[in-house]
Amino acid sequence: MPQIEVQETGDPGDGLAAVVALRRLADRLEDAAVEQAIGAGWSWSEVAEALGVTRQAVHKKHSHRLAAAGVAPRRR
Amino acid sequence: MIRTDGEFVRVVLRLAQAEAVADQSPSIEAEHMLLALTAPQGGQARDLLAEAGLDHNAVQLALAADVERSLALVGVRLAAGRMPRSSYFPGRKPRLGASAKWVLHRAVAASRGGSENRIEPRHVLVGLLNARVGSVPRALDLAGIDRPALIARALAG
Repeated sequence: MPQIEVQETGDPGDGLAAVVALRRLADRLEDAAVEQAIGAGWSWSEVAEALGVTRQAVHKKHSHRLAAAGVAPRRR
Repeated sequence: MIRTDGEFVRVVLRLAQAEAVADQSPSIEAEHMLLALTAPQGGQARDLLAEAGLDHNAVQLALAADVERSLALVGVRLAAGRMPRSSYFPGRKPRLGASAKWVLHRAVAASRGGSENRIEPRHVLVGLLNARVGSVPRALDLAGIDRPALIARALAG
């Protein structure tokens, strides 16, 4: 199991900076992973369940972007 | 309320919005305004940054180094040092984020007492450099920039 080690630098700014960077990374990962899933044939419902959100929420957040990129679910 | 009138403010915000789009960011933040100042329209701010060795590429590298360092603190390393990419289509253009609003607040403060209280490029630069926290001061420190000296040169006009 990979171990994640959080370094204690004693500077609260470092911790906060890590939070900001991780949030940004999480957003980008979500965009990339949702696109990959839909492109691979996942339904919006399946993506929503994997993310722990409603189908409406994930569809609202990602569908326009993916439609513009020509990525569409293969089945509903 | 932030006064966004003034020709240069409109120019820099438009440039910063383009930087936010290129960054796939949902909002315009301080780092996008710093990148915007390196454009030709950045005028005196661009010149001051260039004198300190900060062109667009150098600023991007400094900001990326800050993200990389911040992630490393919690044991995360990006492959090829890059965030994951995906198709990007802004449903609506990025809006002004909190850190950018702070920059404008400080730029207004820096412009007070000037000939027409007009916000000039150097005031926006001071607004960025006067930040004590956030990605911009961290990135500039990583790049070895002497921020107090740069602020002094900007205020000297």
